[in-house]
Amino acid sequence: MSENNRTAAAAGEPGEPVRVVLVDDHDMFRTGVRASLDARIDVVGEAADVPSAVAVVRRERPAVVLLDVHLPGGAGGGGAEVARQCADLAPGVRFLALSVSDAAEDVVGVIRAGARGYVTKSISPEALCDAVVRVAGGDAVFSPRLAGFVLDAFGAVGAAGAAEQAADDDEMDRLTAREREVMRLIARGRSYREVAGELFISIKTVETHVSAVLRKLQLSSRHELTRWAAARRLL
Amino acid sequence: MRLLRPQRGRWIAGVAAGLAAHLGIDVRIVRAVLALATLLGGVGALAYVFWWVTIPPGTPGREPAAPAWARLARPLTAAEGGTRRGLKVSDVVVALGLLAVAALLLASRLGEGPGQNWVVPVLLLLAGAALAWSELDARRPGGAGHGHGAITGRVRVARLAGGIAITATGVFLLVGQRAEPVVMVQSALAAIAVLAGVALVLAPWWLRLVRELGDARAERERESERADIAAHLHDSVLQTLALIRTRSTEPEVVRLARAQERDLRSWLYDDRAPAATSFAVQVKEVVAEIEDTRTHTDGTAPQIETVVVGDVVPTEETHAVLAATREALLNAVAHGRPPVSVYLEASQTEVEVFVRDHGDGFDPDAVSADRFGVRESILGRVRRRGGQASVREVPDGGTEVRIYLPRDTRGDGEE
Repeated sequence: MSENNRTAAAAGEPGEPVRVVLVDDHDMFRTGVRASLDARIDVVGEAADVPSAVAVVRRERPAVVLLDVHLPGGAGGGGAEVARQCADLAPGVRFLALSVSDAAEDVVGVIRAGARGYVTKSISPEALCDAVVRVAGGDAVFSPRLAGFVLDAFGAVGAAGAAEQAADDDEMDRLTAREREVMRLIARGRSYREVAGELFISIKTVETHVSAVLRKLQLSSRHELTRWAAARRLL
Repeated sequence: MRLLRPQRGRWIAGVAAGLAAHLGIDVRIVRAVLALATLLGGVGALAYVFWWVTIPPGTPGREPAAPAWARLARPLTAAEGGTRRGLKVSDVVVALGLLAVAALLLASRLGEGPGQNWVVPVLLLLAGAALAWSELDARRPGGAGHGHGAITGRVRVARLAGGIAITATGVFLLVGQRAEPVVMVQSALAAIAVLAGVALVLAPWWLRLVRELGDARAERERESERADIAAHLHDSVLQTLALIRTRSTEPEVVRLARAQERDLRSWLYDDRAPAATSFAVQVKEVVAEIEDTRTHTDGTAPQIETVVVGDVVPTEETHAVLAATREALLNAVAHGRPPVSVYLEASQTEVEVFVRDHGDGFDPDAVSADRFGVRESILGRVRRRGGQASVREVPDGGTEVRIYLPRDTRGDGEE
C-alpha cells in the first residue's frame, strides 16, 4: 500500500524495518504476534512485566513499543505505568497499546499516559503491521472503537451535541467539526484512505486531524471526560 | 506526602514525626514547637492529643495499592521494617506514670505525701485514659494497619478494661475523698445503674451501626473480588478466546468462541441495562443473534464489529430503526464479505445507524429480486417514520447502509 510507504518514508527510514519491543505477560500471545508480523517489523525485545518492560525499552530504544494494558509488577499501573516511566524517551520511542480490554478506563488511561494509539488484540496481522508503521511515522492510530470512545467522551453526538460543543469554553475540550467528521468515519470502519477520499482531503490531513484529537484526549481537562470514564468504571 | 503517623522514629504516638514528614521539615523543630506550645498553657498537648486521635497510623509515601490490583501485584509493604511491637516509648511512659502514681498513693496513705489530695486521682485519670486511648494507635478498621494487625482481641479487651478500672479508681478518689464508704458504694451503684440505662437505650442504635459497618465492608470485599476476577479473566480467558477466534478455521469453533467472548465482555464491562430501557443494548442483542445464527457465503462465521456512541430509551420509532438495522445486517452477512461493522449514534434529537460490509460493492443491475425486496422493506419502514435510509457503495469496496431518524423530542424528552 502506497500510504504505508509514505509514512515509513516520513519516519526517515524507508528500507529499514521498524524496531519493535513487544510487552505482554502472555507468552502465547507474544509468540503469536511475533509470528504474524511481516518484514516491515523487526522485534528486538520482549518483556512480560512492568519493571522488565521499562528496562528493555530503555536498553533497546525501539521505534515502537507494542504495549499490553494489563501487566503484572511495578506499582500495579500496568501498561500506563510503563508508558509513563518511559515518557522521557519520546519522541524517539512511541507506544501503541494493544489489549483485549473494552473498558473505557483502560483505553483512556493508557492514551493519557502517552500511547499513540489503541488497537484490540483481535486485529488482523496486516492491520497490526500497518498500525505499527503508522505509529513509527509519528501518526496516531485509532480503532473504530477508540473513535467511538472519543465521540462519546467529548459529548460530540448529534446536532445538539455539536451546538453545545461550539459554545463550550476551552479549545482543548472540544472537537472541531472536521475532527468530529473524521472520528465518525473512523468509527464507521473507514480506513484513513477512505476517510480522505470521502472528505476530499489528503491522507496527511486526516493524519493531522487524528493526531490533534489524540492530543486533546491526552491533555483535555474536560470534566465530562473524567466523569464519563468514572461512570464506566468496573468498581 | 500524606499525613500519617509512622511507626518508625516516634517518641509517643508518631504525631511529630508524621507532621515533620508531611511538612518536609526537621522533626526536632516540630517537637520543639509542640513542647513550647505545651508550656504556653498546654495548647501543644491538646493539639497533640487531637492529632493522635484524628491522624491514622501508617507510613507516609507507602499507601496501599488500589484493591483491584492489590492481589495481582502485591506491594512489598509486609517487608517494611519498624513495625515490630516490642517495648514502645508510649507503653513505657504509661507504665512509669502508673508506677509514680502508685508511689504517691502509698506515700499519701502513710501520711507523708504532698498536701494536695487531687494530684493522685487526676494522674490516675490521665493514665487510665492514656491506656484506653492507646487502643486507637493499635488498630484502625480498614486503615493501613497491614503490618501490625497482630494485636489479639484479648490484649485489646484487657487494655480497655484496665483503662476503665484505673480511670474509675481515679474518679472515686477524686469525688469521694471525704465521703463515708457507704455513701461511696451507693453513689457508685447509682452511677453504674445510669450507665447501664444509657447503654440499654443506645444498644439498638449501636448494634445497627456495627451491622451496617460489617455489611459495607463485606460489600467492598465482594466488589474488590469481582474486580480481581475481572482483571484475571480479562487477561487470560478473553485473550485465549480472541486467539481461538482469529486462528481457527472451523466456523462453529469461531462462533462459539465469539459468543463466549461476547457474554464475558458484557458481564465484565457493560452496565447491563435491561434491553427495554436501552436502544444500544437492543442493537447489541440483534448483532449477537446474527453472529450466533448466520453464516457468510464463504462459510465463515460472521464477526460484527459494533461501535456505539450515546444511547436512548427505545420507542416505536427506534423499533423501526432496529428492524431496519437487523435487515441491513442480515443482508451484509448474506451478500457482503467480512468484516461487517455497525456504528450506532444515538442522541435525544436523532438516531443514526451505519452498517458496512466489505463485499464487491453494490451493483443495482445485478441485484437479485429478493435482495431488492429486502432493501425496500428496510428503506420503506424507516421512511414511514419520517426517517431516511440509503444504500451506497464505499469506494474501497463494500456497501454501506445508512439509517437515519430524526426524533420527536417532545414526546419522550425524559431520560
